[in-house]
Amino acid sequence: MIEFEGAEVRYPGGVRALQGVDLRIDDGELIVVVGLSGAGKSTLIRAINGLVPLTSGRVTVGERTLPGLDRRALRELRAQVGMIFQSFNLVSRSTVLNNVLMGRLHHVPLWRSLSGLYRAQDRELAMEALELVEIVEKAYVRAGNLSGGQQQRVGIARALAQQPSVLLADEPVASLDPPTSHVVMRYLQQINRELGITTLINLHFLDLARAYADRVIGLRDGRLVYDGPAAQADEAVFEEIYGRSLTADDVLEGQGGL
Amino acid sequence: MSGEASVDRERGRTEPAGRQVRPRKPPPQPFTILGLAGLVAFTLVTAWDWALGIGFDPLALPGELADSNPAMVEGLFNVTDADWRAQYVELLRTHFTDPDSPWPLSLDSRIGGGLVETVQIAVLATIVGAALSLPLAVLNARLGAPDRVTHAVVKALNNVNRAIPDVIWAALFVVLVGVGALPGILALTMFTIGVVVKLTSDVVDGIDRGPIEAARAAGASHAAAMRTALVPQILPAYASFSLYAFELNLRGAAVLGFVGAGGIGQAMSYYWSQLDFEAVSVIVFVYLVLVVVVEQVSISIRRRLG
Repeated sequence: MIEFEGAEVRYPGGVRALQGVDLRIDDGELIVVVGLSGAGKSTLIRAINGLVPLTSGRVTVGERTLPGLDRRALRELRAQVGMIFQSFNLVSRSTVLNNVLMGRLHHVPLWRSLSGLYRAQDRELAMEALELVEIVEKAYVRAGNLSGGQQQRVGIARALAQQPSVLLADEPVASLDPPTSHVVMRYLQQINRELGITTLINLHFLDLARAYADRVIGLRDGRLVYDGPAAQADEAVFEEIYGRSLTADDVLEGQGGL
Repeated sequence: MSGEASVDRERGRTEPAGRQVRPRKPPPQPFTILGLAGLVAFTLVTAWDWALGIGFDPLALPGELADSNPAMVEGLFNVTDADWRAQYVELLRTHFTDPDSPWPLSLDSRIGGGLVETVQIAVLATIVGAALSLPLAVLNARLGAPDRVTHAVVKALNNVNRAIPDVIWAALFVVLVGVGALPGILALTMFTIGVVVKLTSDVVDGIDRGPIEAARAAGASHAAAMRTALVPQILPAYASFSLYAFELNLRGAAVLGFVGAGGIGQAMSYYWSQLDFEAVSVIVFVYLVLVVVVEQVSISIRRRLG
């Protein structure tokens, strides 16, 4: 379970990225967070694993509550929360397998990570994660040589190698073309359904949000402005979240020109 | 638009529709003028023959060259003389062949042994220095250091290291560990660290930070995150700088012998003191060949690392 209580984030420049957010997420939910860029979606997701610290309020993940964790406890929390990024964040010069093994770093003794001599069981977990996203045949290929969609699947495998209980995805398809976007979203949905991993996905395409989410959360100027089942999130709701009328740019299927 | 066009016609000029105005060339900055004037003044003050000057006179240079020691000049490069050439070849033969050995090349002589030792010093110093440089280069960068204190300390130590020239390091190590190849290896190890750490840590600031965020998000410790997300990105530059340091070390190792730190410099200073300038000439020539060959190999490898 993840719970936000009066969560606020104010950046050094004075921007209030989150304002008084109260939110409860149950285990195994698939939630899509929508909002315009700058609405606080990235901040909300990064508050869960402490990449962005709260300036007031609390967020509880499982039995750990932020802020107030020491460095060790924070790393334990992060190990339990996998993360997927818009720009994949792979080491392009390293092999796919070595990138996925980064997901095991919390569980690996320092001398092993420094020398690169990972245990067989960690390699096995990495290979299984690659099999789940059906890209294991690229294990020894340099990550930079893969296409965008393949790289994002490696990103998913890296997060899965952590054996997480929560998965955070920050605009996972924003750098991909429409068909590839659906492939990546289907993998995320399948992981949520089959492994029961609580999943939060930031998106700005309303059709993708409606197609894959159980529950939609809308953010506007750092405030929670919508929280409800995906089935009820119709165009009127999105216009309310975005604070303007919808355009072709707000749906993935309108991006054919890309 | 039409109003503006008519104004132009009244002025009798034709201007393009966009009405672009070419700016006047700005005058040189005061800093530029003062800087150039200062440079000229500083050069004159330093070169002039007075209390604070060194008394450098370019016009007297040809006379000074003609006035040089004829024994030295003849020994070093009297290439037009047939006797000199014959003696030169004989010197190469006695220094680099051994009648009792089946091999065409022998490196047991003072010069041959000195050459081998020079290369050994350069190789060992580069390997040890480069190995120590990789972690230090990470710590020497703001992004790579675990905290500000470590970063400041490593940076300060490396600045001190680079301020000390390799020959001074060699003299210091001769005092500490005695005459021989060891002080040479230690001195060039320090020099290698200075060069490779500085150049490599500058590369760290330009890398992709995304993978580091990913490693942190996975709960990795700082050291593990640096090793897996940062080091692979700086590895090609690091390898290239290490090879470059090897080229510098090979040249640096030649003079360390003058302060007793081993290598070909020791043979050179010996023949110099014997006034055997022909032997000195042989050393310079053979060393030149060695350096050029090694550098070409190193450069071609570095180009592949690109």
